[in-house]
Amino acid sequence: MTLVKTQKLCAAEARVTRVEHPCRAHVRLHFALPSFPKSDPGQFVQISAHPNRDDAPRELCWPTDEMPRPMMADWSAEDAFLRRPFSLADRRELADGRSELTVISRAIGRGTRWLDSLQIGDALNISGPLGRGFRLPAQSDTCILVGGGVGIPPLIYLARQLCEARFSDVVVILGAMSRDLLPVVLTAEPACNGAARECVLLADGVSYPSIVATNDGTLGIRGLVTDALREHVSHAGILADHTHVFACGPERMLHAVAEQTRALGLHCQLCIERMMGCGMGTCLSCVTAVNDASRPAGWRWGLACGEGPVFDRDRLKWD
Amino acid sequence: MNCATPNATDPRLATDLCGVRLRTPILTASGTCGYGPEYADVLDYRRLGGFTTKSVTLRERPGNNPERIVEVRAGMLNAIGLANVGMDRFMVEKLPFIRTMPTAVFVNVAGHSMDDYVRVAETLDGADGLAGIELNVSCPNVSDGLMFGTDARLLRELVAAVRGVTRRGKLIVKLTPNVTDICDLARAAIDGGADALSMINTYVGMAIDTQNWKPMLANVTGGLSGPAIRPLALYLIHRVYRGVAREAKIPIIGMGGIQSTRDAIEFFLVGASAVAVGTALFIDPTLPVKIADGLCEYLESKNLQSVSELIGQVKLPA
Ligand SMILES: Cc1cc2nc3c(=O)[nH]c(=O)nc-3n(C[C@H](O)[C@H](O)[C@H](O)COP(=O)(O)OP(=O)(O)OC[C@H]3O[C@@H](n4cnc5c(N)ncnc54)[C@H](O)[C@@H]3O)c2cc1C
Ligand SMILES: Cc1cc2nc3c(=O)[nH]c(=O)nc-3n(C[C@H](O)[C@H](O)[C@H](O)COP(=O)(O)O)c2cc1C
Ligand code: FES
Repeated sequence: MTLVKTQKLCAAEARVTRVEHPCRAHVRLHFALPSFPKSDPGQFVQISAHPNRDDAPRELCWPTDEMPRPMMADWSAEDAFLRRPFSLADRRELADGRSELTVISRAIGRGTRWLDSLQIGDALNISGPLGRGFRLPAQSDTCILVGGGVGIPPLIYLARQLCEARFSDVVVILGAMSRDLLPVVLTAEPACNGAARECVLLADGVSYPSIVATNDGTLGIRGLVTDALREHVSHAGILADHTHVFACGPERMLHAVAEQTRALGLHCQLCIERMMGCGMGTCLSCVTAVNDASRPAGWRWGLACGEGPVFDRDRLKWD
Repeated sequence: MNCATPNATDPRLATDLCGVRLRTPILTASGTCGYGPEYADVLDYRRLGGFTTKSVTLRERPGNNPERIVEVRAGMLNAIGLANVGMDRFMVEKLPFIRTMPTAVFVNVAGHSMDDYVRVAETLDGADGLAGIELNVSCPNVSDGLMFGTDARLLRELVAAVRGVTRRGKLIVKLTPNVTDICDLARAAIDGGADALSMINTYVGMAIDTQNWKPMLANVTGGLSGPAIRPLALYLIHRVYRGVAREAKIPIIGMGGIQSTRDAIEFFLVGASAVAVGTALFIDPTLPVKIADGLCEYLESKNLQSVSELIGQVKLPA
């Protein structure tokens, strides 16, 4: 049931439609909602582990002489309290008119373990789409998608959008610690020499030439995605001014991608992660330093959930 | 037994809070709902009792370094550090939207010195479209934030000074639980001329990362909010209502971990005239409307004509 819906934002109950385990560490959840506003890759949703419990009193009849039953069952101590942010990893419109969203989650704590336990038909409460996503360049430009580990999900949705917009010059560089931590389905063995080849099924029907790097060398090249990026750019003979790098991953990786792309003069957008309390700009917790010439100090705190999570490289202040 | 149409604008929910007509007794708490535009897409302000803005200070404050929040069992710690654009920009950038909001709006004011508070309060009192101000004398996350909130003499002086420049709007004083005897502070606020009390702000707390032995918050300490503090908040409201506010006929806006209709009813029963939802808005911004709907059903089931029939009616042992 949709609780609230406007054109920009919806907070609604979704039902799990498919559960996949692309690798040991990640679960790929698909869930359907009656509808979902327009969204962009890089935007995220906030997921609550308490699907609509708070909605219960509509059907309740308060007993006259007893205390009423709580609207929300008291949450058990192990339950995650706040919502948890997840990048949209895909989105499709279903034949029956519903929207199907995908997130890929790595179980690291209370909330993500709960997501991991969900089964088809289970309910979860979604609000979104939130934040600002990736901005697409000209269709003829070169796009390089660089994803590290748990930063891969938004790039999958981006690949879907590039595919639908008929971008043809796209290369995907994916990295993980090890083979069984890479949250995608392989259709062929990735090259160990850094050559881009179609070996990854990014999303249903979406595939682009890809390079895979693992820290331990169990898949693709041994090393970091930034090694793969440097290697690829030096061989591919790209036009710097018409090349856009889109990256998401651990902070250190983003740092390295920022430095590399700056040195090479490539455009670059980075999707960052911050601790988020609300995802809607009210708690002011998700700050990151952004350059702002209009401020005396030359910078200010920007909200990752509002101005981001995707930022142009030069907007972020690196220390 | 159910209300024919559960409706947050049911007349039984209409509440008079120190002379301000509220559609429902459910408000939003400062710092958890921004300045209005943030939730405009999801929360129907026509069905909200009242809205309290994030704290405004005389000068802009960038706020603390991250991490600024951490989730803990049954709640969260925050050390935002009163990040806000400052009064001048507030008047230009935030107030125009606030004026269009179809609900009673209270602007929360914080400061470093008596003079800071007075200047901000005076400016706001001159602005149209506000129901009043809420004095935040209880922020635990700035170095001198608790100064006024923990010293009864200072608090009385501050409230009296702000009272002097608050002629059109109502003056609410928000109390901190981080004191030995909250009744002393409540009395001081009332003596200074407060129209209402709101309570409580957050409890000072800490969380440590056991991997690297560092505090989870850059500010080291933070304010604990959420269901973890609900019983504590309930108790302090109970004390202030019985000890000070009932006799002085000063209403209390109760807050601290409210997440459901049931929680809100508990607060009314110990003496709150209205309640505010804070941290729980992060999980569901529409909660104040749902609580109002639930309250309407509850009144129906108990055959009550108004929320005022609940206030302070907890049945204590003889
Ligand atoms: C915009 C955005 C997009 C994200 N997209 C994805 C995604 O697509 N897939 C995915 O698996 N994860 C994603 N994350 C991270 C995900 O939100 C956290 O892993 C999750 O909130 C942890 O919840 P938990 O209850 O399992 O962990 P907790 O038990 O709360 O904490 C476990 C650990 O995770 C850290 N943590 C908690 N919350 C966050 C957070 N919001 N960001 C970073 N670290 C956190 C804690 O500090 C702690 O070390 C994203 C985060 C953001 C901000
Ligand atoms: C992230 C956050 C920011 C807050 N900022 C303010 C503030 O600026 N001024 C203020 O008076 N109270 C502030 N508070 C306190 C709340 O208004 C409220 O008093 C407290 O959180 C208890 O209610 P709750 O448990 O429902 O959140 C803040 C609370 C949180 C969680
Ligand atoms: S997450 Fe609350 S302001 Fe960004």
